Parts: sequence; structure tokens; C-alpha cells
Amino acid sequence: MAAEPPGSAAQRYRPNAFVSLPAELDPDTYDSSPEKRRAEAERLAIRARLKRQYQLQLNNPNPPAVIENPALLRWVYARTENVYPTFRPTPKTSFLGAVWAIGPLLFWMAVFKADRDRKEKLIKEGKYERPFSVF
Amino acid sequence: SGMSKDMMPGPYPRTPEERAAAAKKYNMRVEDYQPYPDDGFGYGDYPMLPNKSHHERDPWYQWDQPDMRHNWGEPMHWDFDMYIRNRVDTSPTVVPWHTMRKHFLIFLSTMLIMFGLGEIYPTYRPVGPKQYPFNDLYLERGGDPNKEPPVVTHYEI
Repeated sequence: MAAEPPGSAAQRYRPNAFVSLPAELDPDTYDSSPEKRRAEAERLAIRARLKRQYQLQLNNPNPPAVIENPALLRWVYARTENVYPTFRPTPKTSFLGAVWAIGPLLFWMAVFKADRDRKEKLIKEGKYERPFSVF
Repeated sequence: SGMSKDMMPGPYPRTPEERAAAAKKYNMRVEDYQPYPDDGFGYGDYPMLPNKSHHERDPWYQWDQPDMRHNWGEPMHWDFDMYIRNRVDTSPTVVPWHTMRKHFLIFLSTMLIMFGLGEIYPTYRPVGPKQYPFNDLYLERGGDPNKEPPVVTHYEI
């Protein structure tokens, strides 16, 4: 067997934004300390409470027309109406706004101007063959 | 919609009490609740959840919404509509991503370099001018049939 390269298997895997670490390599899977168990129990309690609320509404003999999901409503609100009040002009946001709003405008202005100038030069020299000429 | 203003997302939480209230609002533990950094990008107090797609969620657990693999009331990721099972998949791969990227780039660059070299230095088998029969097609080219055609030899012995 060849010598093992340095670093743990999780470090050698190098998870990034596109792939996440497999559970087998994550040391958190093998951690069964009381703190983790308490945290898992609290999360389970929250999950059970939400499931009970949902099941009560679902199995209600007189159910409401639509069972609203507050998490969904909060998600929609956060992405639509909560962006403008929480936006703040900082150097980073101003720079990114300029790049994405003014950058393409200047870029395409330069491209079209250069293209038109090249065509004009060819026409003046007489080398440009008009594709849609009526003559 | 039946929800009061304090149940909706709000501005970035500054004090620990605001954080606790926000965690309770989003049905999360206070230790789990981590808002996006306050960079002015418009996230407010929305929690920052791990960037894992719904492909990775347990297929055998009884979700309230099995196709979305989502429970009622569970805080949704900011990019929830990107991480659904029809779209982006962040499942762990058999081979690490940086290895896959390295192998792919090696193959792609080798092929592109070889194609480029083939364009700059094309190679073909040696060819000579085409040889026509019947004394260089004398009659077909309008030669006088009564006259003797000039003898054309394409070989040397």
C-alpha cells in the first residue's frame, strides 16, 4: 500500500459550493456526545411540534380551504418585500451595482462604436460590399 | 395572509434578544440560527442555512411535502427554488470535485492543443497532378478526329 498523503480524508476531498462532504467523511457523523444529542433532541422537539400543527390542520374534519405555510410566506416576503428596506449602500454593493448596471452599457457602446467605425472606414476606402444595396 | 408583521422577516438582528426572537420566529434553535452577514445586500434577518440541495435529503423520511422533501413550517433556504430536485444537485460525488476538474481540463486542453497544431501544421499524403487517359482526352476536348493526336506519356522508364 502506498504512503497516505497528508491531511484527513475530509480535507483531501475539499468540498466546495458544488459538492458537499459525504457523511462518511464528516467527523460530525461519528460524534455522539451528550451536547450533540441534546441539540438533536431540541431539533426533534421543534420538528414534532410543527408536524403536529400541520397534521391537526390536515386531518381536521372541517379543514380550511388552504393550509398556509408560514415558512413559505416568510420566504416569499424575504425575497421580495424585505430586500429594499434592508438594503444599504455600502462600497461593495455600490461597486457591484455599477459593474452590473453601467458595465454592460459601456461595453456594448464601445463594441457598437468600434464596429460602426470599422465599417465606415471600409466604405470610405470603397472596400465594403453593400449586402442589401438597391443598385 | 393572516400573519402579523412581527411574524414576517425584518431587519438584521443586532441584540441577542432580537436574535432569540428571530430564531423563535423562524422555528429554529437559537444556537442554529445564523443570519446572513450584515453587508447591506438585502437579506435582513433571514437565516443562513447550509447550501445543500434537496437531492441530499433523506428519501425515506416521511416529509409533509414528499416531492419537495420539505416539512411544513421548516425554514426554507434563500435559494430554495434552486435546490429543488429538478435543479441544482450538490450531492457528494464519488471522486472529489477538484480531481474531476483537473482530469477534465487536462483532456480538454490536450485535445484543443492537438486540434490547434493540426490547423497550423496540416499533414496530407503526397499528391501529383491528375492524369487523364486517351492522350489527355484529345477527342473530348475538341481535337480534330482526322489528325493524329499528340502522344502523351505520363511515365519515364
